[in-house]
Amino acid sequence: MTLRITLSAALAAATFLAVPATAAPKTDLTVGMAAQDVGQLDPHRAVSTIDRTVVAWMYNGLVRFKPGTMDPTQIEPDLAEKWESSADKLDWTFHLRHGVKFHGDFGELTADDVAFSLKRASDAKTSAFSADFAAFKSIEATDPYTVHIILARQVPSLLGLLTNYSGGYIVSRKAVEKYGADFTRNPVGTGPFAFVSDTPNQSLELTAFNGYFRGEPQLAHVSYRYIPSDSSRDLAFQNGEIDLVYGKQDQAWINRIRALPNTVVDVFEPGELANLNLNITAKPLDDIRVRQAIAYAVNRPELVKWQGADTARPGQSVIPAGYLGFSKDVGLANTDIAKAKALLKEAGYPDGVTIKVIHTQLPQMLGSMQVVQAQLRKAGINLDLQVVDHATFHQQIRKDLSPIVYYAAARFPVADIYLTQFFHSASIVGKPTAVTNFSHCDVADKDIDAAKTEPDAEKQVALWVEAQKKIVATACAVPLAEALQIWAHRTDLDYGYELKASLSLGPLLTEATHFK
Amino acid sequence: MIAFIIRRLLASIPTLLAVLTLVFLLVRVVPGDPAIAILGDRATPETLAALRAELGLDRWIGAQYFDFLGHAILGDLGTSMVTHRPVWTEIAEALPHTIVLTLAAMAIGCLIGIPAGVWAALNRNGPVDVLTRLLSLLGLSFPVFVSGIFLLIVFALQLHLFPVIGNPRPGDWIDGLHKLVLPAVTLGVVMAAYVVRVTRSSMLQVLGEDYIRTARAKGVPRRAIIWRHGLSNALIPVVTVVGLYVGILIGNSVLTEIVFNRPGLGKVIVSALTKRDYTMLQGMMVIYCFLIVVVNLITDISYGFIDPRVKQ
Repeated sequence: MTLRITLSAALAAATFLAVPATAAPKTDLTVGMAAQDVGQLDPHRAVSTIDRTVVAWMYNGLVRFKPGTMDPTQIEPDLAEKWESSADKLDWTFHLRHGVKFHGDFGELTADDVAFSLKRASDAKTSAFSADFAAFKSIEATDPYTVHIILARQVPSLLGLLTNYSGGYIVSRKAVEKYGADFTRNPVGTGPFAFVSDTPNQSLELTAFNGYFRGEPQLAHVSYRYIPSDSSRDLAFQNGEIDLVYGKQDQAWINRIRALPNTVVDVFEPGELANLNLNITAKPLDDIRVRQAIAYAVNRPELVKWQGADTARPGQSVIPAGYLGFSKDVGLANTDIAKAKALLKEAGYPDGVTIKVIHTQLPQMLGSMQVVQAQLRKAGINLDLQVVDHATFHQQIRKDLSPIVYYAAARFPVADIYLTQFFHSASIVGKPTAVTNFSHCDVADKDIDAAKTEPDAEKQVALWVEAQKKIVATACAVPLAEALQIWAHRTDLDYGYELKASLSLGPLLTEATHFK
Repeated sequence: MIAFIIRRLLASIPTLLAVLTLVFLLVRVVPGDPAIAILGDRATPETLAALRAELGLDRWIGAQYFDFLGHAILGDLGTSMVTHRPVWTEIAEALPHTIVLTLAAMAIGCLIGIPAGVWAALNRNGPVDVLTRLLSLLGLSFPVFVSGIFLLIVFALQLHLFPVIGNPRPGDWIDGLHKLVLPAVTLGVVMAAYVVRVTRSSMLQVLGEDYIRTARAKGVPRRAIIWRHGLSNALIPVVTVVGLYVGILIGNSVLTEIVFNRPGLGKVIVSALTKRDYTMLQGMMVIYCFLIVVVNLITDISYGFIDPRVKQ
């Protein structure tokens, strides 16, 4: 009996010991980013994916997209708990949440910080997004928790400008005044994660902001590591040294990473639409028949097949699919090499034409352009690619040195912004108001301008659709393909929401993000 | 010897001045606009102009040059256009990592290369010689970004002996040494491949000299012939190659630092180049050139030690 009891006790003890103690979930997240270094942590100057991804974890806007979405109809309160506007949509009042704290000892958020931030975002000297705020007439803090904005003219989506995106981020006035130009390396926001340190060319460290107004974040620490080598970044992820990794818009990469154990590949919006922008004022593209020949020679399904079905979809208009005002019925040409050749012949180029094009050496963009080059060659259009590094590419296309510009971009998902920046005459490169109109297109100015102030939503959309049709008919640009955002994470990492879209181009980390 | 060193130091001054001028010009000859690189594609010309003014890029280029030269001579390399940190601070953080990696690779290269070269020379056309030459050829044929990834796959991913992310914990020298092994081996093996070939051919030449034959005829022991009479005379070309190769090592460290995620000058310079961070690029190139000048100086001085005739 004693022996049995002893044995039973031993067995029970052994069983108890054999059951592993339940390990507490991890609270430290390591992110691997394709970067040499972070650029600007001042949100009003954060323009690259590298910067925008991490800035989104530190700052808030007055309003925000519901995490995981970029649908303008799902904008919800963020730092402002409510707002109202006048009937003509020119006069807006935002009421702030009480008790929202800035990181560190920078105190409570007030309307003064909001007014300061928005004025700063609209000032060309301090913001890369000042053009977005051109319609702002005045921004005033009427009391510590109320901000009053008056617009000079209607803006198609004012709330969109005030989201947690680009110029809408709210900074601490005290911090900006304290750090001056060094604010870019001492960011102070109200978001779930606060800046701790930045080791140049190595990593950026963030810590949970316990005073976050939505509650203490479940992750304690985030390490944002810059790993420029694609191979090393993938190996580090495979080796379990990083939990969340920036991916490649490449089907082979997706397939390979998906095959790894405990791994989820995130494919999410926005799609970055690549357009071939054709300078309608430069020879030989000043002849619409040459531009149309290019439009007929491009084979979008083939390009998508090359890029990969999971990451790419064919361009359907000159603005990305899904944007408010987007239409796929804009008269895009289908591939027809015979027609392309006939148009070239009619334009006086029976033996084909050669066009010198400046292009970037970024592998993904270069690969896509080489596919386009091969497609156009079938129609007798030879693209003489002058491949330069990315910074040089950006400089030279802004000097109008390339009659064809391959450009991929995503913007706030309302047609107005894409159409204005790429196809309105005010945005033509070389002008004082230039943005990214490389085609010198001006055929849709009236529709774009009219849509900005059109109070009727249906009519507004009709104007945007009309603008797209005119741009396509004039062949100012030939849409190619849209590439979605690709990241990968371990299965034990739970974002705390369903990731369908992120305008910061990286997964949003919120107070609910945690390890299971 | 001191006079020799002073002569060499004085000769370095015009080199450094020429370097400063060339660096300033080269950085600006490269197309690309720092303002566009910093502010991106949505910035208006007004915003870009404001940033150029803030960075001092709107000034006459001559004024920028004399400003840079004056400050550089006084040891002030300015502040980064992107990070707003002093260039010296970034250099001071990165340089020790590059120097440690270079020295470790150099040590591996010499410790493998010189004995293997001597051994191959002593066994000319024998199996050892053929094997050494074959391995040397392999070492030279693999670029560091291939051999580095290969080492990572084997030793980090398969054997779990080393991490993929190789930035050492500050103040933890054991961790530093641990994370130094793979990058140093990657660089050192290529260097060894160079050194082994030069040592072998230099030794073969020296071993065929009359004085070696005389020493053998006099009955000098084989060990003394090889080490005292042979190697010490064969070392001059080896030292030249090692000196020249340190420049290549520093250059190769750029790729090695990127593959192994190590901090160092290489990563800083690539980052600065991507963003057209003129001040950082200038500072980095000055430091690179300074390192090369110093290495050449040390090489010249070591000739004097190896061969007293050079001091004349």
